[in-house]
Amino acid sequence: MLNNNRALTLGESQKRFALLMAAPGLVALILLVAGPLLYMFVNSLFVKTLATPVPPRFAFLKNYLELFQNVRFWNAFKNTMVIMVVGIPVQSALGLLMALLLFKKFPGSKVVIALFLIPVMITPVVSGFEWKIILDERFGPINYLISFLGAAPKAWLAKPVLAMISIIIMDTWQWTPFVTVVLLAGLSAIPKQVYEASSVDGSSSWETLWRITMPLLKPMFALVVLLRIIFIFKIFDPVQVLTGGGPGIATETLSVLTYIYGFKNFNVGMTSTLAVIQLIIMVIIAKLFMAIVMKRNAGSTE
Amino acid sequence: MKGKSKIFLLAVVLVLIFTQAVFSGGQKDEEGGAEKDGPIRIAVYGDQGHNLTPLEWIKEDAEKMGIEIEVIGVPFTAVYEKLKTEFIGGTGAYDLVIFYPAYLGEFAEFGYLKPLDQYFELYDPKLDDIVPAYRDLYCNYAGSTYALPYDGDVLNFYFRKDIFSSAEEKTAFKSKYGKSLEVPETWKDLMNVAEFFTRKKGDMLAGEILTQDFYGFAFLGARGFAYAWWSNIFASLGGSYFDRNLKPQINSAAGIEALEILDKLKAFSPPDVMNMGYEELKNAFLQGRVGTMVQWSDVWKKSNDPAISNIVGNCGIARMPGVRQADGSVYFRAAAPVGRIISIPETCTHPEEAYWIAWKLTTDISTECVSSSATGLDPYRYSHVENAEAFKAFGTLEESKEYLEIVMENLNHLFPDVNIPGSGEYLDTLDIAITSALSGSTKAKAALDTAAKEWDKISETLGRDKQKKIYNNMLDVWAEYGFWKD
Repeated sequence: MLNNNRALTLGESQKRFALLMAAPGLVALILLVAGPLLYMFVNSLFVKTLATPVPPRFAFLKNYLELFQNVRFWNAFKNTMVIMVVGIPVQSALGLLMALLLFKKFPGSKVVIALFLIPVMITPVVSGFEWKIILDERFGPINYLISFLGAAPKAWLAKPVLAMISIIIMDTWQWTPFVTVVLLAGLSAIPKQVYEASSVDGSSSWETLWRITMPLLKPMFALVVLLRIIFIFKIFDPVQVLTGGGPGIATETLSVLTYIYGFKNFNVGMTSTLAVIQLIIMVIIAKLFMAIVMKRNAGSTE
Repeated sequence: MKGKSKIFLLAVVLVLIFTQAVFSGGQKDEEGGAEKDGPIRIAVYGDQGHNLTPLEWIKEDAEKMGIEIEVIGVPFTAVYEKLKTEFIGGTGAYDLVIFYPAYLGEFAEFGYLKPLDQYFELYDPKLDDIVPAYRDLYCNYAGSTYALPYDGDVLNFYFRKDIFSSAEEKTAFKSKYGKSLEVPETWKDLMNVAEFFTRKKGDMLAGEILTQDFYGFAFLGARGFAYAWWSNIFASLGGSYFDRNLKPQINSAAGIEALEILDKLKAFSPPDVMNMGYEELKNAFLQGRVGTMVQWSDVWKKSNDPAISNIVGNCGIARMPGVRQADGSVYFRAAAPVGRIISIPETCTHPEEAYWIAWKLTTDISTECVSSSATGLDPYRYSHVENAEAFKAFGTLEESKEYLEIVMENLNHLFPDVNIPGSGEYLDTLDIAITSALSGSTKAKAALDTAAKEWDKISETLGRDKQKKIYNNMLDVWAEYGFWKD
């Protein structure tokens, strides 16, 4: 009985200690994440602007309704989705290809991998400027190459469709190495014995890729796609530098629009509404994606 | 216990050292400005680049006055947002601010700026010498002077003298259009001229084989100030931003027609025209890629610098094209986007020193500022436009006189930017509509209708009645100078 009480007392003391240790983290989380999120949500219910000293007016869901009727919001949403839907599959395919190539060890492969990572390490603003020069209609190397091949140079950043393609190309250039490195780590984690067994069974390379490598890489794919979804929702600096959201609003993304509402129009209410909506969309997409992946994983395990 | 005392003592010493380091690291006087016994630091804010160069010229004189000038440059299209952020924060980071007059109404209305009238006794800004449109429309608000002009921006029409005077081109134009080749006076004339001069690489132009594609016209299509290139046409068709009841007029028949005209002209412009900002547009003209364009006044100065121009001596400048009236006259208006002015923020703790810098730039050395190829600043005083000698470095005396006369004529037919609270947001919304329609994302009417709805929402958010009152006050001033007719 005495021993049991002592054990109970120790347990509570450990709990208290654990709580004490977690307290700074919890406080920081409340102050730095939950607090601002709550403040943002409250702001989204007000007509509030810093552009004038007009006092904020409680408007309940007015900002949300206005935003859902706003052409510019849907345009920004569509553009973000286009970058996501086109960019992620292309980057995943290229990333996988590069990972498979780099997985075969060859002299200097480590140096190649290190060099391959350079685009990820470059600041997005810098890469935006780089691509602005690369895609320049008159002096850019891409148009030079096109002209050299006998075709007419393109005004990459002046036409809506070409400008969107340019952003996807730049995003792919910057983020494919990241996909490659993650998948390379996944490939390294696959036990050699599995491949040896497959070889003994007489599987072709194609069968090995589809029936062994791909299923075992699935968790890594899930991780990389999820991260890319989050990154693309936040894409701002390269778009701002490369096209500024133009021509017109042809390449305006949700983040660029949020910036314009916040720092050009100083409309706190609408900016907060847009941010809340983005947060909700992102959480829904991430949850859906994870649910699908988990379900498939569970299925494949059975 | 001894140990604890030592720790306590050590903590006290550390706190003292820290406090000393913080408070001695820049001892400010009671007003919070200069360091004791040192020069008074004046932080000057403006859009970075060649237009801040004159501040370097006056640094030596400033030092003699006990002033240390610190220049803070921001991107050309970010002047409003950075300055507004500072004004909202009220940190007093800037002592003198250079910005665009479209924002004066908002900044003055909300008390972000000091009225300058109180400092005029210190140094005379010679207000009577300033072109009235600039002085009263762009520097004055509710009866007080809040700014001094620094850059008399106005848009002008530019053309290549050599191709317009070519005998071959004149003959070819006459046979194609049945009339003489002349500098276009109307948008309709410009359409013909732009079409006529648009040629492919390998074609002949004024007796020479083209080594690159050549375009009849170019305009600023990049987001930011593209609306002003539409405004020239819109205003000449009788358009205005709002009516007296603050109902947006940008989607009127004049607005739609203006956008359609600009869209048609786009067909005779370089393929990258929608990506052309000030630099790209200027370069397209100076490198000999385009035959005509609409641009700010400073391009004429740059055109005669062989280091950056392939058309030295061939840059012609004319009044803005317009619309022919029933009596045969041409009604034209010249938009005046940007146009820098200088103000002192309310938070400035050394306004007299800041005012000295403003006076020096806008009065004392203003002629040097607007007549130097090292800046992009344009004339805004009578003494500038009457001093052709000062511009002789860029051409003959006759050419200088002709340039100044044209700039003055366009200044006298200004279509000023809307200058009320929220103007940044109104103009940005308009700019997006214009660039969206021109880039083919949407039709002209739909784009302008959307912008008009947005304008209504902006007015509602900022307080419709108050906005209406301020706008009507602005129109009253416009009416005084003939820029508005009820």
